[in-house]
Amino acid sequence: MTATTDDAAGTGLSTPRRPAADARSDSAAFAEEFRRAHRRGLRRAAWLRALLNVAGILLFLAVWEAVPRLGTWVNPVLLPPPSAVFDSFVPMLLSGEIAANILASLRRAALGFAIATATGVTAGLLTARIGLLHHVSEPILHGFRSVPSIALVPLSVLWFGIGEGSKVALVAWGSFFPIWITTFIGVRDVPAAYLRSAACLGAGRLATLLLVVLPAALPMILAGLRQGIAVSLILLVAAELSGAREGVAYMMSTGHQMFRVDIMLIGLVLLGTFGFIADRLFVALIRRLFPWYTTAS
Amino acid sequence: MSGVTSGITGGPLIDFDRVSQIYAARDGSPVWALSDVSLRVEAGEFVCLIGPSGCGKSTLIHLLAGFLKPTSGAVRFRGRPLDGPGPDRGVVFQEYALFAWMTARQNVEFGLRMQRVSAPVRRRRALEALDRVGLRHAADRYPHELSGGMRQRVAVARALVVEPEVVLMDEPFAAVDAMTRNTLQEDLLRLWRETGVSVLFVTHNIDEAVFLAQRVVVMGVGPGVIREDLAVDLPYPRDRGSAEFGREYARIAAALARGSRGAEQSDGERRAA
Ligand SMILES: Nc1ncnc2c1ncn2[C@@H]1O[C@H](COP(=O)(O)OP(=O)(O)OP(=O)(O)O)[C@@H](O)[C@H]1O
Ligand SMILES: [Mg+2]
Repeated sequence: MTATTDDAAGTGLSTPRRPAADARSDSAAFAEEFRRAHRRGLRRAAWLRALLNVAGILLFLAVWEAVPRLGTWVNPVLLPPPSAVFDSFVPMLLSGEIAANILASLRRAALGFAIATATGVTAGLLTARIGLLHHVSEPILHGFRSVPSIALVPLSVLWFGIGEGSKVALVAWGSFFPIWITTFIGVRDVPAAYLRSAACLGAGRLATLLLVVLPAALPMILAGLRQGIAVSLILLVAAELSGAREGVAYMMSTGHQMFRVDIMLIGLVLLGTFGFIADRLFVALIRRLFPWYTTAS
Repeated sequence: MSGVTSGITGGPLIDFDRVSQIYAARDGSPVWALSDVSLRVEAGEFVCLIGPSGCGKSTLIHLLAGFLKPTSGAVRFRGRPLDGPGPDRGVVFQEYALFAWMTARQNVEFGLRMQRVSAPVRRRRALEALDRVGLRHAADRYPHELSGGMRQRVAVARALVVEPEVVLMDEPFAAVDAMTRNTLQEDLLRLWRETGVSVLFVTHNIDEAVFLAQRVVVMGVGPGVIREDLAVDLPYPRDRGSAEFGREYARIAAALARGSRGAEQSDGERRAA
């Protein structure tokens, strides 16, 4: 997009193809004005969107704040209003308890997700490109995939203990499958015209894999990674609830034992924010890294 | 024109020797795409393949590109049987096969990169190649930022930059509008004469064939055979409005019509032969 408009500003190279040379300075001024107006429009749309987003959050909080006060049919101990939740949140934040729990959870999720990404993408590539491997691994992989990952929580605790190992393993296990399966599909469905073009231009196996197959499958791989992020969060919570000494879900389970619904709600909000920010960051990263991806096809 | 006689010095560049290609239909029954096709193309020739849909034009191209192995017969290139695709045979596809994640320049550079040409040389040659198709100014755009005609220009530049001996083009300009198509045809002729590359060009369009080709090979379904092999003896550049152009057009149109009329008889002919 920017390349197009920059060029319209009139580098010497493109002008011979333009209709009239004397209109050049005119059209440059017009292009500049057009670009400015275009940016203004985009900025205004972005502001409006942010404003509406904030309005939505405020509306939600207002309703939540109002509901426990509306009548006796809602027990404020079971559903404390946001103001009460916030009051318990501040001391926990100041004591560093919140940060420590977030950090613990983040570390587990990130490590597990990284392992799943490395193994999932590799497995997807290999099973899609090597027929033998595909047929050998098919029944086992699909069999394991059909088992809800949460069912492995008790086993994982037995095998890896209640330390970090079992939690990381669970996150990695759960997010491996969406990453593997989408990579597999993406690689399998790379258009034949791409592979044929590469072959005609003299590309060998490795070059084809790295420069053609991987980028062509990237939209699918990224969709799998995004799904993997969501799944990691689910397994993170399951793992921490089954026994941990720190972490956001651990904090929630202590809140449960102490009958402190406010603490549980803090955990929920943190997890929601977590997932949301991870997803947004991911999308922003893709925009930055792969400019052709968001606008292509 | 000179290419036709150069067969005396060596073998032909391209030699389809009694090639048959049979596909398996979904239910496993055989589909004859080409039956007993022989065709020779000399170095430097510009040959158009024309014929009704399903007569095996794309199959012929795929065989020569090395995507397929013939069911029977042999496809030879410079006297040697083919073994898979290679940079000596460039291909321009009908659908846009440009790599969507590379800019126009990076697309054109791809083949040079595979030859381990150094980055600065690669860049210079890619820009020159883009210049020859009038797209130097669009070098840093991604394919989705280019029009259909521009993409096909980039595809032509990408195929030619590695200096193949033949370019195989399967209805490369079918998806662009008539005006763009005319310019693309003129560009292609210019590049052909500048580089001396051979061109095997599939089209459905008689006008395109008469404008471009030294030889027009008329194919027919009956199944997948060559009906006629007509020389178009007009000097370049050709004038679409001229009487000679009209005569050649009529000749090829008549050959096509004969071909499709003869489709029912041809089965009998084949059995008799
Ligand atoms: N992969 C395939 N499997 C089965 N049959 C095929 C396959 N590819 C082509 N055919 C059949 O082979 C015949 C020739 O096909 P081909 O694509 O070569 O024709 P074509 O002359 O290029 O047609 P068009 O002008 O429509 O592109 C057709 O009858 C087609 O149905
Ligand atoms: Mg075809």
